[in-house]
Amino acid sequence: MVPYSARRQLVRRAVGFGLWLGLFLAAAALCDLSPEILKQGLGKAPQFAREFFPPLWAAADEMVEPLLSTLALASAASLLGMLLAFPVGLAAAANIVPVWLRLPVRILLGAERALPEILQLLFFVVAFGLGPFSGMCALAFSSIGMLGKLVGDAIEDADDKVLESLKATGASFWQVIRYGLLPQVLPSLAANALFRFDVNVRSSVVLGAIGAGGIGAEIARSMGMLQYNRATMAVLGSLILIYAAETVSGQLRRRLLEDGRS
Amino acid sequence: MLVVDALTKTVPGGRRVLDGVSFSVGAGEFVGILGSSGAGKSLTLRAISGLTELDSGEVRFACEDGTMCCVTRARGKALRAARRQMGVIFQGLHLVKRMTVIENVMMGRLGFIHPLRSWLYGFTDAEAREALEALDQVSMKPLAGRITGSLSGGEMQRVAIARAIFQRPRLYLADEPIAALDPRNAEAILNLLQPLSRHNPVVSTFHQPELTRRFCTRVVGIREGRVVYDGSPELSRSELAGIYGIREAQAV
Repeated sequence: MVPYSARRQLVRRAVGFGLWLGLFLAAAALCDLSPEILKQGLGKAPQFAREFFPPLWAAADEMVEPLLSTLALASAASLLGMLLAFPVGLAAAANIVPVWLRLPVRILLGAERALPEILQLLFFVVAFGLGPFSGMCALAFSSIGMLGKLVGDAIEDADDKVLESLKATGASFWQVIRYGLLPQVLPSLAANALFRFDVNVRSSVVLGAIGAGGIGAEIARSMGMLQYNRATMAVLGSLILIYAAETVSGQLRRRLLEDGRS
Repeated sequence: MLVVDALTKTVPGGRRVLDGVSFSVGAGEFVGILGSSGAGKSLTLRAISGLTELDSGEVRFACEDGTMCCVTRARGKALRAARRQMGVIFQGLHLVKRMTVIENVMMGRLGFIHPLRSWLYGFTDAEAREALEALDQVSMKPLAGRITGSLSGGEMQRVAIARAIFQRPRLYLADEPIAALDPRNAEAILNLLQPLSRHNPVVSTFHQPELTRRFCTRVVGIREGRVVYDGSPELSRSELAGIYGIREAQAV
């Protein structure tokens, strides 16, 4: 008896593909996806391409300021998030605080991470109005959600023997935190904050488009005014910014983690 | 100098890990606490420095002003004041590995400096010079600027001793200072501890009796949370067998 049947393989593959197709068509129908819309959109493609390209090179110098504003927004949010993540992480660590504090902090951090940044921005816009400040608050807040949890985990993994040996010298609680704990978690906190900076640069472009200013706002405005080649120029600028942020963040992170090993 | 009086402690499972441990330590003594793993040696040391909660019993310690203060009942500032006077020598692995050797030594005096200063800049240049002297005492001066994590086990143990020396305590407590070391390093460490005991008593736990015989002035044997021997470091075979709970023929 050969444990293989060509006919059964054919049936199985057909059923598998049929299942996928059925689900896709059902979902697509709910999204109002129809062949006509597709045909219309594709028909306009050459015209669109002409409007978007070439980029409006003349506007390049006008992109510098919004790009810097986006970079500043992401940097400020990452640095603020990094600073605040440490006390939040302390409150989220089982070996530092009692469980009645740790549990609610962990739940809040989890809820905070589940909330998309765009929603958080909308809340801050209600409070502080449109502009980079609201964007920075939203990104700093969501950075704390991620960094606070990671710092909390790092603190729980930290060497308790080190803390105890300082306690035994008569050092106060905060001295033990500063000299025993901070050196253990600072490199990983800095590395995670650099990663978060990379994420924040991308996010700040998106958030810019819905009210946080910077290059995102520039893209949205150009589109709104039908200056598509200007929008392309802005997108090109943000691509360069994102790529640069990713490279710098990655290099610095590698160096930090290498230092930790020596 | 130090009085350990009837310490008892029961762990959640109901087992008595300390069952009336009592002994005292006077000036000039180098007391070795012997016993097998889990006998309660390290726990006794932790109780002396107030790092563990006890069911009953007291640790009394001659404070700077000459009065006997009770470590067991002390909390907060009073407890920290008592801890400042005791230099605990943990195994070298308790050092902060990412910081330099000299920084690790200076941490011995954290309890003496103002919290604000410890956040602003830490230690003074004068303290650094003193820390260098402490490192010189354990022959580690040339490595003062190294990152502690890059040292060997024996070197880290020396740094741990330098930290305790720099703390200028009135009593040294050493927890298994030679447990992770080869015989040559172990002997070198004991050669550092012994002279310290002439000025301020040293209480140290050990697994093995060979070196306590040569270096200690007295041995306290602990078995299952009880003191079963307290006397000369020259133990007979039957006394050793009693501490380790083995038959006489197996005792070295």
